[in-house]
Amino acid sequence: MYDIIGIWVGAFFTLAIYSFLYKENPIYRLAEHLVVGISAGYGMAITYQITVKPRLIDPLLSGDHWILLIPGILGLLYITRFIPRISWLSRYPIGFYMGTAMGVGFPLTMKANVLRQLEGAMVPLYQSGMAWYEVTGNIVMILGTLAALIYFFFSKPHKGLFFGTGSKIGIWVIMVGFGATFGFTVMGRISLLIGRIQYLLGDWLHLIE
Amino acid sequence: MSAVNIWEKMLNIDRRWIFLGIGVVSIVPFFINFGMPVRTTREVESIYDYVDELGSDNAIFISFDFAPGTSAENMPMAVAVMRHAFYNDIPVFMTANYPLHHGMMLAAMEYVFNPTTEGFYEDVDFEDWKDLREAGVTGKYELIEAWENQGNQLPEGALGWVFEGRDYAALGYAPVFNLVILGMTVSIETQYPVDAHGNSTGEMPMLQEHKSLREVDMALTSSGSGACVWWVTYAREKMGLPIAFGLTAVMATDYFPYLQAGQVIGQMGGLRGAAEYEVLLTENGITPSTDKAFRGMDVQSAAHILIILLIIMGNIAFFAGGFHKKTLLKGGR
Repeated sequence: MYDIIGIWVGAFFTLAIYSFLYKENPIYRLAEHLVVGISAGYGMAITYQITVKPRLIDPLLSGDHWILLIPGILGLLYITRFIPRISWLSRYPIGFYMGTAMGVGFPLTMKANVLRQLEGAMVPLYQSGMAWYEVTGNIVMILGTLAALIYFFFSKPHKGLFFGTGSKIGIWVIMVGFGATFGFTVMGRISLLIGRIQYLLGDWLHLIE
Repeated sequence: MSAVNIWEKMLNIDRRWIFLGIGVVSIVPFFINFGMPVRTTREVESIYDYVDELGSDNAIFISFDFAPGTSAENMPMAVAVMRHAFYNDIPVFMTANYPLHHGMMLAAMEYVFNPTTEGFYEDVDFEDWKDLREAGVTGKYELIEAWENQGNQLPEGALGWVFEGRDYAALGYAPVFNLVILGMTVSIETQYPVDAHGNSTGEMPMLQEHKSLREVDMALTSSGSGACVWWVTYAREKMGLPIAFGLTAVMATDYFPYLQAGQVIGQMGGLRGAAEYEVLLTENGITPSTDKAFRGMDVQSAAHILIILLIIMGNIAFFAGGFHKKTLLKGGR
Protein backbone atom coordinates (compact mmCIF):
# COMPACT_ATOMS: atom_id res chain seq x y z
CA MET A 1 0.00 0.00 0.00
CA TYR A 2 2.76 2.43 1.00
CA ASP A 3 4.61 1.56 -2.22
CA ILE A 4 1.59 2.50 -4.31
CA ILE A 5 1.14 5.79 -2.48
CA GLY A 6 4.83 6.51 -2.98
CA ILE A 7 4.60 5.84 -6.71
CA TRP A 8 1.57 8.12 -7.06
CA VAL A 9 3.28 10.88 -5.11
CA GLY A 10 6.38 10.47 -7.29
CA ALA A 11 4.30 10.61 -10.47
CA PHE A 12 2.43 13.70 -9.30
CA PHE A 13 5.61 15.59 -8.52
CA THR A 14 7.29 14.47 -11.74
CA LEU A 15 4.37 15.94 -13.69
CA ALA A 16 4.39 19.00 -11.45
CA ILE A 17 8.04 19.68 -12.29
CA TYR A 18 7.48 19.09 -16.00
CA SER A 19 4.52 21.48 -15.95
CA PHE A 20 7.15 24.23 -15.96
CA LEU A 21 7.80 23.38 -19.61
CA TYR A 22 4.41 24.85 -20.39
CA LYS A 23 4.74 27.80 -18.08
CA GLU A 24 5.62 28.78 -14.54
CA ASN A 25 2.85 27.82 -12.11
CA PRO A 26 2.22 27.36 -8.38
CA ILE A 27 2.26 23.55 -8.57
CA TYR A 28 5.74 23.67 -10.07
CA ARG A 29 6.93 26.05 -7.37
CA LEU A 30 5.47 23.82 -4.67
CA ALA A 31 7.32 20.81 -6.10
CA GLU A 32 10.54 22.81 -6.41
CA HIS A 33 10.41 23.96 -2.80
CA LEU A 34 9.56 20.48 -1.59
CA VAL A 35 12.62 19.06 -3.38
CA VAL A 36 14.87 21.50 -1.56
CA GLY A 37 13.16 21.03 1.80
CA ILE A 38 12.88 17.26 1.67
CA SER A 39 16.48 16.87 0.46
CA ALA A 40 17.72 18.93 3.39
CA GLY A 41 15.48 17.09 5.86
CA TYR A 42 16.41 13.68 4.51
CA GLY A 43 20.08 14.62 4.63
CA MET A 44 19.78 15.69 8.27
CA ALA A 45 17.89 12.55 9.26
CA ILE A 46 20.36 10.25 7.54
CA THR A 47 23.32 12.13 8.99
CA TYR A 48 21.89 11.84 12.49
CA GLN A 49 20.81 8.24 12.13
CA ILE A 50 23.96 6.76 10.61
CA THR A 51 26.63 9.21 11.68
CA VAL A 52 25.92 11.33 14.74
CA LYS A 53 24.06 8.68 16.74
CA PRO A 54 26.21 5.57 16.18
CA ARG A 55 29.54 7.40 15.97
CA LEU A 56 29.16 10.08 18.64
CA ILE A 57 26.12 9.84 20.89
CA ASP A 58 26.02 6.06 21.46
CA PRO A 59 29.77 5.73 22.23
CA LEU A 60 29.60 8.74 24.56
CA LEU A 61 26.57 7.33 26.36
CA SER A 62 28.33 4.02 26.79
CA GLY A 63 30.94 5.96 28.78
CA ASP A 64 34.01 4.49 27.11
CA HIS A 65 34.93 7.04 24.50
CA TRP A 66 35.30 10.41 26.20
CA ILE A 67 37.87 11.42 23.60
CA LEU A 68 34.93 11.89 21.22
CA LEU A 69 33.95 14.96 23.23
CA ILE A 70 36.71 16.90 21.48
CA PRO A 71 35.42 16.44 17.89
CA GLY A 72 31.86 16.67 19.25
CA ILE A 73 32.44 20.08 20.81
CA LEU A 74 34.45 21.20 17.80
CA GLY A 75 31.52 20.27 15.58
CA LEU A 76 29.04 22.06 17.80
CA LEU A 77 31.08 25.25 17.44
CA TYR A 78 29.79 25.44 13.84
CA ILE A 79 26.38 26.33 15.29
CA THR A 80 27.78 29.47 16.88
CA ARG A 81 27.45 31.04 13.41
CA PHE A 82 23.86 31.75 14.40
CA ILE A 83 24.82 33.68 17.55
CA PRO A 84 26.52 36.90 16.38
CA ARG A 85 28.25 37.60 19.72
CA ILE A 86 30.23 34.35 19.65
CA SER A 87 30.10 33.56 15.95
CA TRP A 88 33.89 33.90 15.80
CA LEU A 89 34.13 30.51 17.51
CA SER A 90 32.91 28.82 14.32
CA ARG A 91 36.24 29.71 12.74
CA TYR A 92 37.98 27.02 14.78
CA PRO A 93 36.24 23.97 13.25
CA ILE A 94 36.40 25.59 9.80
CA GLY A 95 40.10 26.28 10.23
CA PHE A 96 40.71 22.78 11.56
CA TYR A 97 38.85 21.20 8.65
CA MET A 98 40.49 23.38 6.00
CA GLY A 99 43.94 22.82 7.43
CA THR A 100 43.49 19.06 7.61
CA ALA A 101 41.94 18.79 4.16
CA MET A 102 44.64 20.98 2.64
CA GLY A 103 47.47 19.10 4.32
CA VAL A 104 46.13 15.68 3.43
CA GLY A 105 44.82 16.56 0.01
CA PHE A 106 47.46 18.81 -1.50
CA PRO A 107 50.22 16.32 -2.37
CA LEU A 108 47.79 13.65 -3.62
CA THR A 109 45.71 16.16 -5.55
CA MET A 110 48.81 17.55 -7.26
CA LYS A 111 49.84 14.03 -8.14
CA ALA A 112 46.43 12.94 -9.45
CA ASN A 113 45.40 16.09 -11.28
CA VAL A 114 48.65 17.65 -12.45
CA LEU A 115 51.63 15.29 -12.50
CA ARG A 116 49.76 12.24 -13.80
CA GLN A 117 48.02 14.36 -16.42
CA LEU A 118 51.38 15.71 -17.59
CA GLU A 119 52.68 12.17 -17.70
CA GLY A 120 49.63 11.12 -19.72
CA ALA A 121 50.34 13.84 -22.29
CA MET A 122 53.96 12.72 -22.76
CA VAL A 123 53.39 9.95 -25.26
CA PRO A 124 55.68 8.87 -28.11
CA LEU A 125 54.62 10.20 -31.49
CA TYR A 126 55.81 7.03 -33.15
CA GLN A 127 57.19 3.69 -32.05
CA SER A 128 57.72 0.59 -34.11
CA GLY A 129 54.68 -1.64 -34.00
CA MET A 130 52.25 1.24 -33.39
CA ALA A 131 49.07 1.18 -35.46
CA TRP A 132 48.51 4.18 -37.72
CA TYR A 133 45.48 5.32 -35.75
CA GLU A 134 47.48 5.33 -32.53
CA VAL A 135 50.17 7.48 -34.16
CA THR A 136 47.52 9.86 -35.53
CA GLY A 137 45.78 9.97 -32.15
CA ASN A 138 49.00 10.81 -30.34
CA ILE A 139 49.93 13.54 -32.83
CA VAL A 140 46.45 15.10 -32.61
CA MET A 141 46.53 14.95 -28.81
CA ILE A 142 49.98 16.54 -28.45
CA LEU A 143 49.40 19.25 -31.06
CA GLY A 144 45.90 19.88 -29.70
CA THR A 145 47.19 20.24 -26.14
CA LEU A 146 49.94 22.63 -27.25
CA ALA A 147 47.56 24.69 -29.42
CA ALA A 148 45.01 25.02 -26.60
CA LEU A 149 47.77 26.10 -24.21
CA ILE A 150 49.01 28.69 -26.75
CA TYR A 151 45.47 30.10 -26.95
CA PHE A 152 45.53 30.72 -23.19
CA PHE A 153 48.99 32.33 -23.30
CA PHE A 154 48.17 36.03 -23.08
CA SER A 155 51.63 37.51 -22.47
CA LYS A 156 52.33 37.69 -26.20
CA PRO A 157 50.06 39.03 -28.96
CA HIS A 158 48.43 36.23 -30.94
CA LYS A 159 50.26 37.09 -34.16
CA GLY A 160 52.74 35.30 -36.41
CA LEU A 161 53.20 31.66 -37.24
CA PHE A 162 53.65 30.30 -33.71
CA PHE A 163 51.29 32.38 -31.56
CA GLY A 164 48.87 33.44 -34.33
CA THR A 165 48.37 30.12 -36.07
CA GLY A 166 48.80 28.18 -32.83
CA SER A 167 46.04 30.11 -31.07
CA LYS A 168 43.71 29.73 -34.09
CA ILE A 169 44.23 25.98 -34.02
CA GLY A 170 43.74 26.19 -30.25
CA ILE A 171 40.31 27.80 -30.73
CA TRP A 172 39.29 24.99 -33.06
CA VAL A 173 40.50 22.37 -30.62
CA ILE A 174 38.56 24.01 -27.80
CA MET A 175 35.47 24.28 -30.02
CA VAL A 176 35.68 20.57 -30.84
CA GLY A 177 35.88 19.94 -27.09
CA PHE A 178 32.83 22.12 -26.48
CA GLY A 179 30.99 20.32 -29.27
CA ALA A 180 31.72 16.94 -27.71
CA THR A 181 30.63 18.24 -24.31
CA PHE A 182 27.43 19.67 -25.81
CA GLY A 183 26.67 16.34 -27.47
CA PHE A 184 27.20 14.47 -24.22
CA THR A 185 25.11 17.07 -22.37
CA VAL A 186 22.18 16.56 -24.77
CA MET A 187 22.55 12.82 -24.28
CA GLY A 188 22.60 13.27 -20.52
CA ARG A 189 19.48 15.43 -20.41
CA ILE A 190 17.58 13.05 -22.65
CA SER A 191 18.70 10.17 -20.41
CA LEU A 192 17.17 11.89 -17.40
CA LEU A 193 13.93 12.37 -19.34
CA ILE A 194 14.02 8.69 -20.29
CA GLY A 195 14.34 7.78 -16.63
CA ARG A 196 11.25 9.79 -15.74
CA ILE A 197 9.24 8.42 -18.67
CA GLN A 198 10.18 4.87 -17.65
CA TYR A 199 8.91 5.70 -14.18
CA LEU A 200 5.65 7.20 -15.42
CA LEU A 201 4.89 4.59 -18.07
CA GLY A 202 6.28 1.63 -16.15
CA ASP A 203 6.12 2.01 -12.39
CA TRP A 204 3.06 4.24 -12.39
CA LEU A 205 0.87 3.30 -15.36
CA HIS A 206 2.28 -0.20 -16.00
CA LEU A 207 2.15 0.36 -19.75
CA ILE A 208 5.72 -0.82 -20.29
CA GLU A 209 7.99 -3.32 -18.51
CA MET B 1 4.25 36.86 -45.91
CA SER B 2 7.82 37.53 -47.03
CA ALA B 3 10.47 34.81 -47.14
CA VAL B 4 12.41 36.46 -44.34
CA ASN B 5 9.37 36.26 -42.11
CA ILE B 6 9.09 32.51 -42.58
CA TRP B 7 12.74 32.06 -41.53
CA GLU B 8 12.22 34.46 -38.66
CA LYS B 9 9.16 32.52 -37.53
CA MET B 10 11.19 29.31 -37.69
CA LEU B 11 13.90 30.82 -35.54
CA ASN B 12 11.39 32.19 -33.07
CA ILE B 13 9.28 29.05 -32.82
CA ASP B 14 7.63 28.68 -29.42
CA ARG B 15 9.96 26.40 -27.47
CA ARG B 16 6.96 24.49 -26.14
CA TRP B 17 6.53 22.90 -29.57
CA ILE B 18 10.08 21.61 -29.28
CA PHE B 19 9.37 20.23 -25.80
CA LEU B 20 6.26 18.54 -27.16
CA GLY B 21 8.23 17.02 -30.04
CA ILE B 22 10.89 15.71 -27.67
CA GLY B 23 8.16 14.33 -25.42
CA VAL B 24 6.48 12.47 -28.28
CA VAL B 25 9.69 10.94 -29.66
CA SER B 26 10.66 9.96 -26.14
CA ILE B 27 7.46 8.03 -25.54
CA VAL B 28 6.75 6.36 -28.90
CA PRO B 29 9.88 4.10 -28.99
CA PHE B 30 8.80 2.48 -25.72
CA PHE B 31 5.80 1.06 -27.59
CA ILE B 32 7.39 0.54 -31.02
CA ASN B 33 10.69 -1.25 -30.59
CA PHE B 34 13.16 -0.14 -33.27
CA GLY B 35 15.82 -2.51 -31.96
CA MET B 36 18.74 -0.15 -32.58
CA PRO B 37 21.99 -2.04 -31.92
CA VAL B 38 24.30 -0.96 -29.10
CA ARG B 39 27.94 -1.57 -29.91
CA THR B 40 30.28 -1.86 -26.98
CA THR B 41 33.32 0.39 -26.65
CA ARG B 42 36.78 -0.33 -25.30
CA GLU B 43 36.29 1.93 -22.26
CA VAL B 44 33.33 -0.14 -21.05
CA GLU B 45 34.72 -3.50 -22.14
CA SER B 46 37.83 -2.91 -20.06
CA ILE B 47 35.71 -2.55 -16.89
CA TYR B 48 33.71 -5.64 -17.79
CA ASP B 49 36.83 -7.69 -18.52
CA TYR B 50 38.47 -6.56 -15.29
CA VAL B 51 35.45 -7.52 -13.14
CA ASP B 52 35.02 -10.77 -15.06
CA GLU B 53 38.53 -11.87 -14.09
CA LEU B 54 37.73 -11.55 -10.38
CA GLY B 55 36.24 -14.21 -8.15
CA SER B 56 35.25 -15.04 -4.59
CA ASP B 57 38.77 -14.40 -3.28
CA ASN B 58 38.63 -10.81 -4.51
CA ALA B 59 36.45 -7.87 -3.51
CA ILE B 60 35.28 -4.66 -5.11
CA PHE B 61 33.78 -1.36 -3.99
CA ILE B 62 30.77 0.21 -5.63
CA SER B 63 30.44 3.80 -4.53
CA PHE B 64 27.03 5.38 -5.00
CA ASP B 65 28.16 8.95 -5.55
CA PHE B 66 24.99 10.28 -7.13
CA ALA B 67 21.69 11.81 -6.09
CA PRO B 68 18.17 11.03 -7.39
CA GLY B 69 18.59 13.75 -10.03
CA THR B 70 21.05 11.66 -12.04
CA SER B 71 19.91 8.19 -10.99
CA ALA B 72 18.48 7.54 -14.47
CA GLU B 73 22.07 7.43 -15.71
CA ASN B 74 24.08 6.35 -12.68
CA MET B 75 21.80 3.71 -11.22
CA PRO B 76 21.92 1.27 -14.20
CA MET B 77 25.73 1.37 -14.16
CA ALA B 78 25.96 0.54 -10.48
CA VAL B 79 23.28 -2.13 -10.77
CA ALA B 80 24.97 -3.74 -13.78
CA VAL B 81 28.34 -4.02 -12.04
CA MET B 82 26.66 -5.22 -8.84
CA ARG B 83 24.91 -8.03 -10.72
CA HIS B 84 28.14 -8.94 -12.49
CA ALA B 85 29.92 -9.14 -9.14
CA PHE B 86 27.18 -11.27 -7.55
CA TYR B 87 27.25 -13.62 -10.53
CA ASN B 88 31.00 -14.12 -10.06
CA ASP B 89 30.66 -14.38 -6.24
CA ILE B 90 32.79 -11.26 -5.79
CA PRO B 91 32.16 -9.61 -2.41
CA VAL B 92 30.89 -6.05 -2.89
CA PHE B 93 31.38 -3.15 -0.50
CA MET B 94 28.84 -0.39 -1.08
CA THR B 95 29.45 3.19 0.00
CA ALA B 96 27.95 6.64 -0.54
CA ASN B 97 29.68 9.98 -0.30
CA TYR B 98 26.68 12.10 0.67
CA PRO B 99 23.50 11.54 2.71
CA LEU B 100 21.23 11.64 -0.35
CA HIS B 101 23.46 9.12 -2.10
CA HIS B 102 22.95 6.70 0.77
CA GLY B 103 19.33 6.34 -0.35
CA MET B 104 20.50 5.50 -3.86
CA MET B 105 22.55 2.63 -2.47
CA LEU B 106 19.50 1.26 -0.66
CA ALA B 107 17.38 1.70 -3.80
CA ALA B 108 19.90 -0.25 -5.91
CA MET B 109 19.85 -3.11 -3.41
CA GLU B 110 16.08 -3.08 -3.33
CA TYR B 111 16.01 -3.35 -7.13
CA VAL B 112 18.54 -6.17 -7.41
CA PHE B 113 16.94 -8.16 -4.55
CA ASN B 114 13.36 -7.56 -5.66
CA PRO B 115 11.63 -10.77 -6.87
CA THR B 116 9.80 -8.76 -9.55
CA THR B 117 13.14 -7.83 -11.17
CA GLU B 118 14.10 -10.28 -13.88
CA GLY B 119 17.23 -12.11 -12.77
CA PHE B 120 17.08 -10.99 -9.14
CA TYR B 121 19.27 -12.27 -6.33
CA GLU B 122 17.82 -13.68 -3.12
CA ASP B 123 19.14 -11.67 -0.19
CA VAL B 124 19.86 -13.27 3.17
CA ASP B 125 20.08 -10.77 6.03
CA PHE B 126 23.11 -10.76 8.28
CA GLU B 127 21.10 -11.88 11.31
CA ASP B 128 19.38 -14.70 9.42
CA TRP B 129 22.55 -16.76 8.98
CA LYS B 130 24.05 -15.94 12.37
CA ASP B 131 23.97 -19.58 13.51
CA LEU B 132 25.96 -20.74 10.49
CA ARG B 133 28.44 -17.91 10.93
CA GLU B 134 28.94 -18.79 14.56
CA ALA B 135 29.44 -22.40 13.52
CA GLY B 136 32.31 -21.21 11.32
CA VAL B 137 30.53 -21.71 8.01
CA THR B 138 31.57 -18.61 6.10
CA GLY B 139 32.91 -19.82 2.73
CA LYS B 140 30.45 -19.00 -0.03
CA TYR B 141 29.86 -22.47 -1.39
CA GLU B 142 29.74 -24.32 1.95
CA LEU B 143 27.47 -21.57 3.19
CA ILE B 144 25.00 -22.10 0.34
CA GLU B 145 25.04 -25.83 0.97
CA ALA B 146 24.48 -25.44 4.71
CA TRP B 147 21.80 -22.81 4.14
CA GLU B 148 19.88 -25.01 1.72
CA ASN B 149 20.30 -28.00 4.06
CA GLN B 150 18.38 -25.95 6.62
CA GLY B 151 15.40 -26.17 4.28
CA ASN B 152 15.79 -22.88 2.45
CA GLN B 153 15.03 -22.99 -1.26
CA LEU B 154 16.13 -20.56 -3.92
CA PRO B 155 12.98 -18.87 -5.24
CA GLU B 156 12.05 -19.44 -8.84
CA GLY B 157 13.69 -16.91 -11.14
CA ALA B 158 16.43 -16.00 -8.66
CA LEU B 159 19.97 -16.17 -10.02
CA GLY B 160 21.53 -17.03 -6.67
CA TRP B 161 21.84 -16.39 -2.95
CA VAL B 162 23.63 -13.33 -1.64
CA PHE B 163 24.53 -13.30 2.05
CA GLU B 164 24.87 -9.98 3.79
CA GLY B 165 28.33 -9.75 5.26
CA ARG B 166 29.64 -12.50 2.98
CA ASP B 167 28.67 -11.24 -0.50
CA TYR B 168 28.01 -7.62 0.22
CA ALA B 169 28.36 -5.01 2.91
CA ALA B 170 26.12 -1.94 2.69
CA LEU B 171 28.48 0.50 4.37
CA GLY B 172 26.63 3.57 3.18
CA TYR B 173 27.33 7.19 3.89
CA ALA B 174 30.10 8.53 6.07
CA PRO B 175 30.89 12.23 6.38
CA VAL B 176 33.96 13.89 4.79
CA PHE B 177 34.14 11.04 2.38
CA ASN B 178 37.51 11.90 0.86
CA LEU B 179 39.11 11.38 4.24
CA VAL B 180 37.04 8.22 4.71
CA ILE B 181 38.61 6.81 1.52
CA LEU B 182 42.01 7.74 2.87
CA GLY B 183 41.17 6.08 6.19
CA MET B 184 40.00 2.92 4.45
CA THR B 185 43.47 2.51 2.95
CA VAL B 186 44.41 1.53 6.52
CA SER B 187 41.21 -0.05 7.85
CA ILE B 188 37.67 -0.28 6.51
CA GLU B 189 36.30 -1.26 9.92
CA THR B 190 37.69 1.85 11.59
CA GLN B 191 35.80 4.04 9.12
CA TYR B 192 32.65 1.91 9.26
CA PRO B 193 32.31 0.21 12.66
CA VAL B 194 28.69 -0.59 11.72
CA ASP B 195 27.03 -0.85 8.34
CA ALA B 196 23.91 0.93 7.09
CA HIS B 197 21.70 -1.66 8.81
CA GLY B 198 23.46 -1.37 12.15
CA ASN B 199 25.38 -4.64 11.82
CA SER B 200 28.85 -4.81 13.28
CA THR B 201 31.25 -4.85 10.33
CA GLY B 202 33.94 -6.53 12.42
CA GLU B 203 31.82 -9.69 12.49
CA MET B 204 31.44 -9.80 8.72
CA PRO B 205 33.52 -12.51 7.01
CA MET B 206 34.18 -10.28 4.01
CA LEU B 207 35.67 -7.58 6.22
CA GLN B 208 37.80 -10.13 8.01
CA GLU B 209 39.21 -11.20 4.62
CA HIS B 210 39.48 -7.69 3.16
CA LYS B 211 40.50 -5.41 5.98
CA SER B 212 41.52 -2.36 3.99
CA LEU B 213 41.49 -0.97 0.46
CA ARG B 214 44.87 -2.60 0.02
CA GLU B 215 43.06 -5.96 0.03
CA VAL B 216 40.41 -4.84 -2.41
CA ASP B 217 40.72 -5.21 -6.18
CA MET B 218 38.70 -2.40 -7.69
CA ALA B 219 36.41 0.52 -6.91
CA LEU B 220 33.66 1.66 -9.24
CA THR B 221 32.42 5.14 -8.54
CA SER B 222 29.05 5.73 -10.14
CA SER B 223 29.13 9.45 -9.88
CA GLY B 224 27.06 12.49 -10.70
CA SER B 225 29.64 14.97 -9.42
CA GLY B 226 33.35 15.69 -9.35
CA ALA B 227 33.63 13.57 -6.21
CA CYS B 228 34.59 10.64 -8.42
CA VAL B 229 38.09 12.12 -8.51
CA TRP B 230 38.42 11.50 -4.77
CA TRP B 231 38.74 7.81 -5.51
CA VAL B 232 41.57 8.52 -7.95
CA THR B 233 43.26 10.99 -5.61
CA TYR B 234 42.97 9.14 -2.32
CA ALA B 235 42.88 5.49 -3.35
CA ARG B 236 44.51 5.20 -6.77
CA GLU B 237 47.37 7.60 -6.14
CA LYS B 238 47.81 6.64 -2.49
CA MET B 239 48.04 2.88 -2.91
CA GLY B 240 47.31 1.97 -6.52
CA LEU B 241 43.72 0.74 -6.22
CA PRO B 242 42.28 0.26 -9.74
CA ILE B 243 39.37 2.67 -10.26
CA ALA B 244 36.53 2.53 -12.77
CA PHE B 245 34.36 5.53 -13.57
CA GLY B 246 30.62 5.45 -14.16
CA LEU B 247 29.77 9.04 -15.02
CA THR B 248 26.84 11.07 -16.22
CA ALA B 249 27.07 11.99 -19.89
CA VAL B 250 27.52 15.66 -19.01
CA MET B 251 30.68 14.81 -17.09
CA ALA B 252 32.11 12.25 -19.49
CA THR B 253 34.28 14.50 -21.65
CA ASP B 254 35.85 16.18 -18.62
CA TYR B 255 37.09 12.86 -17.27
CA PHE B 256 38.54 11.28 -20.40
CA PRO B 257 41.99 12.67 -19.46
CA TYR B 258 42.02 10.30 -16.46
CA LEU B 259 41.42 7.44 -18.84
CA GLN B 260 44.09 8.71 -21.22
CA ALA B 261 46.58 8.99 -18.35
CA GLY B 262 45.83 5.42 -17.27
CA GLN B 263 44.48 6.49 -13.88
CA VAL B 264 41.21 4.63 -14.41
CA ILE B 265 40.72 1.23 -15.98
CA GLY B 266 37.61 2.27 -17.87
CA GLN B 267 34.72 4.67 -18.04
CA MET B 268 30.99 4.28 -18.59
CA GLY B 269 29.57 7.53 -19.94
CA GLY B 270 25.88 8.17 -19.36
CA LEU B 271 23.00 5.88 -20.19
CA ARG B 272 24.88 4.68 -23.24
CA GLY B 273 27.76 3.39 -21.11
CA ALA B 274 25.34 1.56 -18.82
CA ALA B 275 23.54 0.07 -21.83
CA GLU B 276 26.86 -1.23 -23.16
CA TYR B 277 27.56 -2.96 -19.85
CA GLU B 278 24.07 -4.49 -19.88
CA VAL B 279 24.70 -5.79 -23.41
CA LEU B 280 27.96 -7.39 -22.27
CA LEU B 281 26.20 -9.02 -19.31
CA THR B 282 23.46 -10.45 -21.49
CA GLU B 283 25.76 -11.58 -24.30
CA ASN B 284 27.83 -13.50 -21.77
CA GLY B 285 24.84 -15.11 -20.08
CA ILE B 286 25.23 -13.25 -16.80
CA THR B 287 21.77 -11.68 -16.94
CA PRO B 288 18.78 -13.19 -18.75
CA SER B 289 18.03 -9.93 -20.54
CA THR B 290 19.16 -6.35 -20.81
CA ASP B 291 17.77 -3.80 -18.38
CA LYS B 292 16.49 -0.23 -18.22
CA ALA B 293 19.49 1.47 -19.80
CA PHE B 294 19.35 -0.65 -22.94
CA ARG B 295 15.59 -0.17 -23.24
CA GLY B 296 16.18 3.58 -23.18
CA MET B 297 18.62 3.56 -26.09
CA ASP B 298 15.93 3.54 -28.81
CA VAL B 299 14.44 6.62 -27.20
CA GLN B 300 17.87 8.18 -26.98
CA SER B 301 18.45 7.65 -30.70
CA ALA B 302 15.01 8.97 -31.67
CA ALA B 303 15.45 12.10 -29.54
CA HIS B 304 18.93 12.68 -30.96
CA ILE B 305 17.60 12.44 -34.52
CA LEU B 306 14.95 15.05 -33.72
CA ILE B 307 17.51 17.36 -32.11
CA ILE B 308 19.86 17.00 -35.08
CA LEU B 309 16.98 17.83 -37.45
CA LEU B 310 16.08 20.88 -35.35
CA ILE B 311 19.71 22.08 -35.37
CA ILE B 312 19.88 21.65 -39.16
CA MET B 313 16.55 23.46 -39.63
CA GLY B 314 17.67 26.25 -37.35
CA ASN B 315 20.88 26.71 -39.30
CA ILE B 316 19.05 26.67 -42.63
CA ALA B 317 16.67 29.32 -41.34
CA PHE B 318 19.55 31.37 -39.96
CA PHE B 319 21.53 31.43 -43.19
CA ALA B 320 18.63 31.41 -45.68
CA GLY B 321 17.02 34.29 -43.82
CA GLY B 322 20.26 36.23 -44.03
CA PHE B 323 20.63 36.52 -40.28
CA HIS B 324 24.32 35.77 -40.60
CA LYS B 325 24.81 39.23 -42.06
CA LYS B 326 25.73 41.68 -39.38
CA THR B 327 23.35 44.40 -40.59
CA LEU B 328 20.38 42.12 -40.18
CA LEU B 329 21.54 40.94 -36.79
CA LYS B 330 21.64 44.53 -35.65
CA GLY B 331 18.09 44.94 -36.85
CA GLY B 332 16.72 43.87 -33.53
CA ARG B 333 16.23 40.09 -33.59
